[in-house]
Amino acid sequence: MTAKIKNFPGTALSEKDFEAGKVLFLFDQMKAEYAWDTGVAIGEYLAGLKSGVILGAHCLHCRKTVVPPRIVCEWCYRPMQEFVPLQDTGRVNTFSLCYVTWDVRRIQEPEIPAVIEIDGASPLHGIMHKLGEVDPKKVTIGMTVKALWKPPEDRQGAITDILYFKPWKEGTR
Amino acid sequence: MTWLEREREAPAAWPGELPVRNRYTFGIAGERFFRALKDEGRILGSRCPRCDILYVPARAFCERCLHGLEEWIDVGTRGEVSTFTVLHANPDGSYRETAEVIAFVRVGDGGLVHRLGEIAPEDVTIGMTVEVVLKPPAERKGSILDIDYFRPVRE
Repeated sequence: MTAKIKNFPGTALSEKDFEAGKVLFLFDQMKAEYAWDTGVAIGEYLAGLKSGVILGAHCLHCRKTVVPPRIVCEWCYRPMQEFVPLQDTGRVNTFSLCYVTWDVRRIQEPEIPAVIEIDGASPLHGIMHKLGEVDPKKVTIGMTVKALWKPPEDRQGAITDILYFKPWKEGTR
Repeated sequence: MTWLEREREAPAAWPGELPVRNRYTFGIAGERFFRALKDEGRILGSRCPRCDILYVPARAFCERCLHGLEEWIDVGTRGEVSTFTVLHANPDGSYRETAEVIAFVRVGDGGLVHRLGEIAPEDVTIGMTVEVVLKPPAERKGSILDIDYFRPVRE
């Protein structure tokens, strides 16, 4: 229905109207700080990323390895038994071409968020990250990718210590 | 074995900040009301001829009958304390050195919530007549704070 409407009623305001003082307005800014407790498992995971390793957690009973690590197995509810270092390679489980940024700006070159099944974890277990160094048209489900890490001195124990995953052929470095 | 010990190198908490910013425009009636306050130092109301209600601050539409309001009236600078409260704490919870009186000042059939000044908190009474004290024209920004405070009318 709205497709038929050419001119919506009302007065649109532009940034220039505010700068020129055409309209009165109030500006306000909320202080919305937070701190999210990392806990035992994610804390260990983030510390692992700082040292350049993707950690998973292994349940001996279910023989499952999940990533990111958790302290309780989701299948048997027993405590997880060990952290296991995984490969920094994997394959694309699903992806999206995103032409809009998080703050709703349009971009020409899409960002490519993807879920990547990490090698060493149980099948279908992976993490969400971005793809880079790749033609958006050539991204396929199942393609093998490898993490590109930040230089060690720049890492801060965050998921962004991996810049992105890039296409990679098995057997190469 | 359960994991109760935290890895020493691990970040204990992940800090962040949500950028929540907003810009409020007053709308058609609000714009006209605050322009009059800023530029002329006048308080405007709008009257509904059907309901015989004088809205202060001025509205574009009657809240009772939805009639568009075209009769804009200068309601003067005086009102009556309808109710008030005495504040001893700031919004952040810290204590104030001097108490502040906030009142609903009835003007027409509406009114304004604002500070009372030039009066001790214990002397404020409901029903007392108060008048507007405006900021100097150069300091007015087109906000309700262009009114500095209300003070008792001394006859």
